[in-house]
Amino acid sequence: MTTPAVLPAPSRPSRWWGQPRTSRQRLRRRSMLQVALCQLLLLGIVLGLWEWGTQGAGVNAFLFGSPSVIAAQLLAMVKDGSIWADAWVTGLETLGGFVLGNLLGTVLGLSLWFSRFISRVVQPFVLALGSVPIVALAPIAIIWFGTGFASKLAMATLSVVVVALVVAYKGALGVDPDQVNLMRSLGASRRQIFRLLVLPASLTDIFAGLKLTVGFALVGAIVGEFMSSSEGLGHAIFKAGSLYAISKVFAALAVTVALALVLSAVVSRVERALLPWRHDFN
Amino acid sequence: MRSREGAGRAPPLSALGLGKTFGAEDGRPVGVIGSVSFDLGEGEIVSIVGPSGCGKTTLLNLICGLLPPTVGSVLWHGRELAGVPPRVGYMLQKDLLLPWRTAMQNVTLGLEVRQVNRRERRAMAHRLLDRLGLGDFADYYPSALSGGMRQRVALARTFASDPEVLLLDEPFSALDFQTKILIERDTARLVRSERRSLLLITHDVEEAVSLSDRVIVLSHRPCTVVSQHHIDLPGDRTDMMAMRERPEFARTVRKIWTELDIR
Ligand SMILES: Nc1ncnc2c1ncn2[C@@H]1O[C@H](COP(=O)(O)OP(=O)(O)O)[C@@H](O)[C@H]1O
Ligand SMILES: [Mg+2]
Repeated sequence: MTTPAVLPAPSRPSRWWGQPRTSRQRLRRRSMLQVALCQLLLLGIVLGLWEWGTQGAGVNAFLFGSPSVIAAQLLAMVKDGSIWADAWVTGLETLGGFVLGNLLGTVLGLSLWFSRFISRVVQPFVLALGSVPIVALAPIAIIWFGTGFASKLAMATLSVVVVALVVAYKGALGVDPDQVNLMRSLGASRRQIFRLLVLPASLTDIFAGLKLTVGFALVGAIVGEFMSSSEGLGHAIFKAGSLYAISKVFAALAVTVALALVLSAVVSRVERALLPWRHDFN
Repeated sequence: MRSREGAGRAPPLSALGLGKTFGAEDGRPVGVIGSVSFDLGEGEIVSIVGPSGCGKTTLLNLICGLLPPTVGSVLWHGRELAGVPPRVGYMLQKDLLLPWRTAMQNVTLGLEVRQVNRRERRAMAHRLLDRLGLGDFADYYPSALSGGMRQRVALARTFASDPEVLLLDEPFSALDFQTKILIERDTARLVRSERRSLLLITHDVEEAVSLSDRVIVLSHRPCTVVSQHHIDLPGDRTDMMAMRERPEFARTVRKIWTELDIR
């Protein structure tokens, strides 16, 4: 037996994954199309049954609304521009709270990595704060920050901050201790270990947290608007509800759902742009 | 600070009566390392073999300054240092590549820590990756590399900071035989051509004998040195297959096997 004089040239990756990847992608695209078709079909069936029910099959349109009236309502909201105004207000509150809460929570959570002692001291307080139902904080937010934008921003921020903190801290603690040892063996200071290892390693968890908290921020903003407000989607829902204008409630709800979907899509886009290594090869 | 004066230069690394007991503070002490002493000379390759769980990894962490010893001391060129010594390379069975860094950026990690400028970092990384046959893969993320390629990148990272002493903990044990032989050869070349010193921890007796100048055999936990074997194989010491064909090779492997006391 002899050893080869040179290393066997490793095969070109473009070749060994290129082939299966494209066919797999084609397969995935096809099944995605099928899934989307089925989803549309399901939606159509539900809306159809709903419409048929309220058109004389004994379902009370006054209590349950009806798709056609809701659609007309949405059109009216587009025409008088209230849809954009309300979505804009709620969107701003949500986005502001989302950014502020995540910034605050992530910075605090990651900084706890630097001191095990401090993290153990604050742990029960974080848990206590995390278990407070967010609705219960609304009166306080309104007393402190008034009935305008600031109180909704506070509500959205509060709904996000604890989750963001816990997620970031867990992410930082989850770093492989062998990896930390490797950094130490390379002579890295604690700050270098944080910057080169802990921060990027936690990004995966932090982004998972972002996807989660975008919804939380929206709930916070809407709850704030429910309590007291003069604009926003929460205000529109609340007002329509108190007037028994069910179709209007549903219309505003549909806009809220659309807003949530748009915001989550934006977060996913940003994740793709910032963490390319997670999407390149799987 | 203790220092050891004497005839000639002090070896790059010596362990003096190293011992480690875990959990002494909660009243249930577990002695992992009894007492281990040895020297690692300049340009020397020494392997440490021992039964699984006997404390080899712990021993390496003591030497590297990642864990404090319960008794004994580690001397670098005859002096005791606080913390992690400079100019050591440390590598484990896990490649520990950072998935968000390309192969090249993983290799330059240690240089970045030492704030070497970007141009020099890249030049060094390219040189090493070329030498290890990975020149075309510098810009690939680890997830796109095979196990053997990833371990080569880890090897390049270990050599990039120009270590005087290499501490390797079962670095090749997860690789298939052919890849292992090749990467052992590359390691031997990189170490011997530049007179670095290598302390290799392994449970693979054949790897230890074919690669090293000396093999140290450890006992079960709490481990102590059972015996030392000088490996005197003639010929090109970087040719792993040729080493394995020598009659002395088989004899030494069998002898060490019997001393290993695998239960
Ligand atoms: N931090 C620790 N605390 C308590 N016991 C430990 C610790 N680290 C290792 N050990 C124990 O020490 C023994 C030796 O471990 P290790 O050094 O990893 O062995 P080896 O590398 O030889 O397989 C094991 O039984 C392990 O359970
Ligand atoms: Mg081990």
